Amino acid sequence: MGRRRRRQPDPADAARALPEAIAALSRTLPAAPSPEIFRRAKFDRPEAAPALWRLLFHVLSPLSADSASVSFTLEAQVRWVKSVLHSQGYPRLALVQLQDDGSQGGRELLLALAWLLARGPLPERLLTQSHVRLGDEMPVCECEALASPGPPAPRVEAEGSVDIRHLQWLMGKLQLRWRNLMAGQQEQCALLGKIHSYTRGCHSDRSLGHLSVTETELLRDPEGGRQLLQRLETENARLEAALEWRHRELVFWRWMDTVLDTCPLEASPPTFLPRIPEPGAGAAGLPVRELQALQEELQALQEELRKAVEARRAAWQAAVGGHGPEWRAARRALQVAVAQDLAALQWAWEQGKGQARPHGPRRLVRTEARVPGRLGLWATEATEALRAREACLEAMLHQLQGQCRQELARLVGVRPGLIWVPPPAR
Amino acid sequence: MSIVTVQLGQCGNQIGFEVFDALFNDSHCPGGLCSKRENEAYQASCKERFFSEEENGVPVARAVLVDMERKVISQTLSKAARSGRWKYGQHSCFCQKQGSGNNWAYGYSVHGPRHKESIMNLIQKEVEKCDSLSGFFIIMSMAGGTGSGLGAFVTQNLQDQYSSALKMNHIIWPYGTGEVIVQNYNSILTLSHLYRSSDALLVHENDAVHKICAKLMNIKQISFCDINQVLAHQLGSVFQPTYSREGSFHYRRNPLGDLMENLVPHPEFKMLGVRNIPQMSENSLAYSTFTWAGLLKHLRQMLISNAKMEEGIDWQVRPPLSGLPPLGKMSVNKETHFNTSIANLVILRGKDVHSADVGHHRALKRVLCAVRMFSPVICQCQSPKFILLKKGKIKTLVLVAKRNPCTSM
Repeated sequence: MGRRRRRQPDPADAARALPEAIAALSRTLPAAPSPEIFRRAKFDRPEAAPALWRLLFHVLSPLSADSASVSFTLEAQVRWVKSVLHSQGYPRLALVQLQDDGSQGGRELLLALAWLLARGPLPERLLTQSHVRLGDEMPVCECEALASPGPPAPRVEAEGSVDIRHLQWLMGKLQLRWRNLMAGQQEQCALLGKIHSYTRGCHSDRSLGHLSVTETELLRDPEGGRQLLQRLETENARLEAALEWRHRELVFWRWMDTVLDTCPLEASPPTFLPRIPEPGAGAAGLPVRELQALQEELQALQEELRKAVEARRAAWQAAVGGHGPEWRAARRALQVAVAQDLAALQWAWEQGKGQARPHGPRRLVRTEARVPGRLGLWATEATEALRAREACLEAMLHQLQGQCRQELARLVGVRPGLIWVPPPAR
Repeated sequence: MSIVTVQLGQCGNQIGFEVFDALFNDSHCPGGLCSKRENEAYQASCKERFFSEEENGVPVARAVLVDMERKVISQTLSKAARSGRWKYGQHSCFCQKQGSGNNWAYGYSVHGPRHKESIMNLIQKEVEKCDSLSGFFIIMSMAGGTGSGLGAFVTQNLQDQYSSALKMNHIIWPYGTGEVIVQNYNSILTLSHLYRSSDALLVHENDAVHKICAKLMNIKQISFCDINQVLAHQLGSVFQPTYSREGSFHYRRNPLGDLMENLVPHPEFKMLGVRNIPQMSENSLAYSTFTWAGLLKHLRQMLISNAKMEEGIDWQVRPPLSGLPPLGKMSVNKETHFNTSIANLVILRGKDVHSADVGHHRALKRVLCAVRMFSPVICQCQSPKFILLKKGKIKTLVLVAKRNPCTSM
């Protein structure tokens, strides 16, 4: 017998929890610095800033920029990160005001990182992007490519006059590169088809039936197999770190509160709502309730702002409305046009509502018969969806070309002495 | 990726044979400087581009032979078959009996439409044999009737039918002193049509190659065979597998694509020229040593001074260094004879290629691109323009053409 003594919460545990949480975060993000850097950043130490700029760069850039990121100077990375954060709606002005050489602003960068983490499942998204793929995959839609910010482009200074011939040169180069890309992709498809048909029956998984390129290389070249194993192991480590992070992240958010407290107040109102994690058991419930109260407060503020904006807009309209009948008629025509566009969009969406649009990359599998009850996307369906999209885009292209032609015709009328020779129709 | 060659007319067929022969011999020559694995990769790449496999193992050239008379084609076919190492496809040729009489219009307006189906069918069969198509390489001369007229017609049809494939036309510029009395008319008509439908025009001048044979190769009685072999050597060094400076693990897949992307992006500047170095007969090879620095220096000066061969280079010509003349005011400086080219591509083959330093070539390219010739408004007035380097009959025919600076390497 003997009463079992209740274990006191060990203060050393609490002290360890934060560095472990941050360490888990570091292990799961690409190119993340050590927990010590995070601590220094809270106190705005200069050595922390470059590491955090680089972290933000890697987190925000699409996968393709990873290999090329070595060639970007810190200054270029800083500028790019600022522009991407701005385009995603990051509210704090202090970040934009930081110097381009990346030497200061550790605390602001921590806040930016926290903002990105709060908006969505960032570590999971990054892991999906850098996932080791064993099959031959092909994207069925371009949502991912369109949504992500483009890779950093070199800064081009536009001097006074632009050489048209240089532009033509660049356009021609772009077109030729595009054609070469198309030809290369066709070649890749032809060769993939060959590999898939030659290795039929080799795969242990019956539903797949044939090997992919990675798997074939695995068999041909043992060194490649070792490298693949290494990649899988690192990915595993990152996945485990991501799980650990999810368990420990509340400690991190409490700490971020203290970081926010040490920052000077900003005038601009927050325009984002942090994502509230699922209310867990016991102790996790308290901060969740606090967060919910905060969210309601923010929503009330947004409502107030909206009312103020509307009042102002009504005032402006009243002031400007007495412009004359043509202006009113033009405005009416514009409203009608917009309503038509909206109706067309709605109709198009309703048409396509029945079929789910295919998304994301798919593994390519070559099979003969259509097995009933088989999951997955068939090439014919994917092709149909793509053709519909192509028709849409072509219609848009024609419309834009018509607009350009009208603009050209207008310009021709402006200078009557000039002879215009259009290029030969191809 | 594979290239489908279309050989047109007497000249086209003779040159085509020499080209395939040179390519095959180069890829199968024993010894060399590379490991066995590299040799095999080179062979495989060359073979995939230009030859297809047949049952008994003899490579078949990916070519379509077209001529309006029988003689040359049968000679070409038998020469290829005689070597036993490679051959032409039995059914890849198309000939007629009556010839074209050196008449461009006969080739373009009579033979063309009449035989369009058969010729395009042959080409289609060759294209279907390829896993993936890099483009078409069309060999023709401008002086005769078949090569020039039918060539223009075929290129146009290729443009219509295979609009996404690249086309390079290899054109033989006739002797200035003329083999054919109407060669000037044929040339003008061919060039103007090709400018619209082809992606790049690679020009070889008979005069220049003749001089190379005479002065550098020391051949006494120069026949067309010798000229064709020099031509084939130059073409071979352009089309054989290469890899770029950055990625030297695999050979580049798309030869025509690479050439075109670097040399002819601008739609108005399509004419290309080739200069190679060193050029000498095989006997002299044993007595010579080369360094990359020396070769590149000679090559650069050949380019700047517009010399077509290694001998007689004018070393006085220099690119304009200090300050660029203001736009629209530049007068073409006759004394310097500085060759202005829009773009240059250097292909190096041989031992220790990585040690070759092309630094000054890059600087050269920047300077050349920056030189203004005429203000854009004047240039746009006329329909396609081409080089007028020759004096004599051609110049009087075309009155308002402007000098078009587009020879590149």
